[in-house]
Amino acid sequence: MASASTAATAAPNSLSLPPSQFARLQPHAYLLAHLSPPSSSNQPSIRANGRAPSQFRVTSANAGSLTHTNGSAVVRLGDTTAVCGVRAEILHTDDIASWSVSQSTNANKRRRIGETEKESETADEEDRAHIEDLNLLVPNISLSTGCAPGFIPSAPPSALAQSLSHQILSLLHTTRLVQAEDLRIWYQPPNLGPEEAQQHNDEEQMDLDAGANEEETKPAEIKAFWVLYIDIMLISLAGNPFDAAWASVLAALRDTKLPKAWWDVDNESILCSDDVNESQKLSLRGLPISSSFCVFEADAAAGWRAVVIPDAEEQKAQDSKHGSQKWILADPDGYEEGLVQERVHFVVDKEEGKTVIVKMEKHGGWTVDSEDLRQLVDISAQRMVAGLVVPVACLPALVTLSPRHTGTSSESHIDHEPLHQPMTELG
Amino acid sequence: MSNQRQASSASQTPHLSPAELSYLYTSLSLPKSPIRPDGRSPTQFRPLTAESNILPGTNGSARIGFADGTQAIVGVKAEVEKTVLSTDTLASGEGGESTAATSGHGSWVQMSIEIPGFRDDDALPVFLSEMMRESLVGAVVEGGDGGGDVMMAGGLKGRLVINKRWHWRLYIDVLLLSQPLSYPLPLLSLTTHLALLSTKLPKLKSQGEEDPFFDDDWEVAEYLYPRGSKLKATSGLASQYVRPPVTLLVVSVGENVIFDPSREEIAVADAVLAISVTRDTEAGNLKLLSIRTIDPPSRLTQPAVPNSENVNMLGATAPTEDIAVLNPATGEEEVPGVWRPRRGGVKRSVIANMIKTVLKKGGVGEEVLEGLEGVEVE
Amino acid sequence: MNDRRRVNGPPGGTRPPVYASLLQSGTGADIRAQRQRQPTDLRKIFLKTGLIPSASGSSYLEFEPSASLAAARSNPKSLIPPSSALKLACTVHGPKPLPRSAPFSPNLVLTTHVKYAPFAARKRKGHVRDSSERDLGVHLETALRGAIIAERWPKSGLDITVTILEAEDDRWWGDVPDSHDASWGMMNVLAGCISAASAAIADAHIDCLDLVSGGVAALVSDDSTDSSSALPKLMLDTDPAEHRSIVSACVVAYMPARDEITELWLKGDSSKVSTADGDERSGHEALIDGAVDAARGAHTVLAEAVRESLQKALGQS
Repeated sequence: MASASTAATAAPNSLSLPPSQFARLQPHAYLLAHLSPPSSSNQPSIRANGRAPSQFRVTSANAGSLTHTNGSAVVRLGDTTAVCGVRAEILHTDDIASWSVSQSTNANKRRRIGETEKESETADEEDRAHIEDLNLLVPNISLSTGCAPGFIPSAPPSALAQSLSHQILSLLHTTRLVQAEDLRIWYQPPNLGPEEAQQHNDEEQMDLDAGANEEETKPAEIKAFWVLYIDIMLISLAGNPFDAAWASVLAALRDTKLPKAWWDVDNESILCSDDVNESQKLSLRGLPISSSFCVFEADAAAGWRAVVIPDAEEQKAQDSKHGSQKWILADPDGYEEGLVQERVHFVVDKEEGKTVIVKMEKHGGWTVDSEDLRQLVDISAQRMVAGLVVPVACLPALVTLSPRHTGTSSESHIDHEPLHQPMTELG
Repeated sequence: MSNQRQASSASQTPHLSPAELSYLYTSLSLPKSPIRPDGRSPTQFRPLTAESNILPGTNGSARIGFADGTQAIVGVKAEVEKTVLSTDTLASGEGGESTAATSGHGSWVQMSIEIPGFRDDDALPVFLSEMMRESLVGAVVEGGDGGGDVMMAGGLKGRLVINKRWHWRLYIDVLLLSQPLSYPLPLLSLTTHLALLSTKLPKLKSQGEEDPFFDDDWEVAEYLYPRGSKLKATSGLASQYVRPPVTLLVVSVGENVIFDPSREEIAVADAVLAISVTRDTEAGNLKLLSIRTIDPPSRLTQPAVPNSENVNMLGATAPTEDIAVLNPATGEEEVPGVWRPRRGGVKRSVIANMIKTVLKKGGVGEEVLEGLEGVEVE
Repeated sequence: MNDRRRVNGPPGGTRPPVYASLLQSGTGADIRAQRQRQPTDLRKIFLKTGLIPSASGSSYLEFEPSASLAAARSNPKSLIPPSSALKLACTVHGPKPLPRSAPFSPNLVLTTHVKYAPFAARKRKGHVRDSSERDLGVHLETALRGAIIAERWPKSGLDITVTILEAEDDRWWGDVPDSHDASWGMMNVLAGCISAASAAIADAHIDCLDLVSGGVAALVSDDSTDSSSALPKLMLDTDPAEHRSIVSACVVAYMPARDEITELWLKGDSSKVSTADGDERSGHEALIDGAVDAARGAHTVLAEAVRESLQKALGQS
């Protein structure tokens, strides 16, 4: 063991292990050797996968290639591939048990507040209530696709899958990415019949002017909601599933078209138009981008030891000199994820030219300080500016690509073999 | 995982030694006259006892017991259900409704199979019920002419239609009473066939598109599969009546085709097919409904070691004894008397031969159908 | 019962959208998907291996979209897709040691899982495997077990997982299920699963007798005017959305080198078929032969994909 590690770092002459085996036997030492090249060589520190520590993998996306979805996207983040399909279904307000009750209380509330500046706030609150309380967004991520050896196919969702699904759900809610208005299907009841209206007019003509007739129209009511089933199949997992899944959700939602829908009085149901020109794209609020980092420590136990053994101050001093080196690695792959404890996770968005942190998560250790965090926010924000996140920046161009290259293939040359051989045999 | 394994192959591989397997294979593959362990002829079924209408609470029921002690009970229950016009049927408006109303829907027949030792979502019960349901709802009679009964136009699915808005839903519950000793398909299929033959639906008193109501007199209830009078049946006209399909298990060993294989026989089979047949009302002969291959367990058996490769036997045999010869049925080089697990698939000619044996006039298929017809229905 | 391990939708359930144009009778007759290929022409297949590095072997398979689907893609008019084209990904994990609890096996133990993505079909699928998916898994296992040389890997297991991203329709969307109706699309899916799994197994360097490939043939009666008298015709690689009525269909898993079938699944009434003069084959024989021809076609694509992956592997080392 010792000989192997020294062999790689110091004495290449005695090295008898090929790098791939060394990487398996001594993963920590292998990555460390890459990140801390001998000072004499003057090489920059580089990761085992060839990336610089703050470099993200190449992202590519393709949207709209799945036939039976309202919107879909395939996102590849290096070797991690996520396929997201959005299916819209209709939730009738008749099917919502508490609908009539909640409607009337809401109406009361609105009347009570009344003031114009608070109106928008209430509307926001109502949007939130509709989307969250009625479960209009249903994201589910599936890892049981054979994407990595650890997951048993066709088993119930693993802990990781459950946690990812809920992270995506809460992120959808907190970013308020989808606007509730897009999901509502309104119905404007027709004006009162002419006779009835006449009667009303007669009675009230004395103290009301002609405008009363307009006020008399019934308020539009919500007849149904669109429910978006957002299903993410992780086809291939090589680290950082969340960034890939979120990017695919984002790209699929941008691709999502909802048909024009209305309440049909004769059929007493919601009908939709299948005309593409009448359908509407979702108008998404902002463009939150997720970036994940992990922290690789030269001596993973250093921080812990410092606390557990309070009298080891000398050692601490030593550590600060050279031992407790750390590298913050952007967009970790599967190999790196297995070697780290501490993870940092950002979701940032741009609002009027300013970077907004939508979500920040850090757990698993204490080596990252506030200064590091500030830097990481900058990196995440730059990523957005630079358009490194291809799914979003290049979407329109990719949609027009041939749908043949869905999925997973980046090269497209072999495509279809001509199938003439069997034909001759058939003759 | 072990469960998965035994579920998917034709049955649990019996613990037979390679020598036993080799012996079985050799005797079953004897050209023209295979010797079966229980002395049956290749097309002979095991003796069985059958009775129908054993459960008073059902619309039809049957029990079949094999001589080895395995028994199956099938109960058929029918319920009236409102026909829901799906978006599909809404799609084509009026015209669509009428076609849906006459043709029925495959999902109106529900089948559940319970086998002791298996969960109901294990591969074996799911595979068996899909296989039997598929041939049941797939059996379609072309037109009402040619002696076929008008009521059975559209097959079983069509028979379940009451009117445009109502239909029967059929629940077929299959219960195997003991751990399966061999692949339970023939037993379950025969029992289901018998139960369906004895199934009666109450006589409809309402007419046309009214909400249906029925005669409560069980005496006048009508058979699900209409039958002729006894007289007609004996005079050879029985073939005019639509009969539920029956699924036969057929194996090939060498060049021989063997019916109703026992567990040991399946263990050495080159190919196992489940073939569903029913009577063709027009031509009067048998009609193929579906074929499925079943994974032969011989692929999972343990190989034997020829003496020439066995270290314990070094020098004990003359080298000439172990010359591999080509087995014409499998196309593999084999040392005679040394068991090798099967590899590869089936030749098309073998499949054609198996189907032919089932379908041919006076063949096994007809024999089975006639035999089941003979079970007295009270 | 609520599934607490997943994010659930509204408790009252939701309904798929109903399109107004469908309520008028007789629509769609003009836009009905029609088969543009000759009866013996196969669809092109896109097959690529080794796209999932974390698996020992993997493949991705896609069928060429039908003419109507391609037209609808390039010039979208209606939100209702005219037909769909199979897309699936297959991964192979193993050979790996069997769990300690498993009994001894002298052979490689194969486990197959087929799962539709919830958005794969016209009707939304559930997250838990239903009986048709389990059924497909058994079919696939039978097809592959015959091709793998299992005794070279004793005491080992091999997991094969197929994820179907887009399935084939059972019939044209505007049609009501007729008397011949069954889940025909499933047979095309099975054929695709077999070819893709075969490529993935080769990619995982598991010894096989031959590359086993899947093919579908069907007896089709397309004549709307007078369907009772016209005999059904034999077509290879049928897309059910392009036909009025499929009478019977057959899928095989076929190994050309040995001329053997490892899996045969035939259903429907194959007693009547319009064959060429002098063709004495009965319906089911014609059907099986047709499916074998289709499988031969798929085999050329399969061989090409495997050869390419091998060249890539050789180039790397």
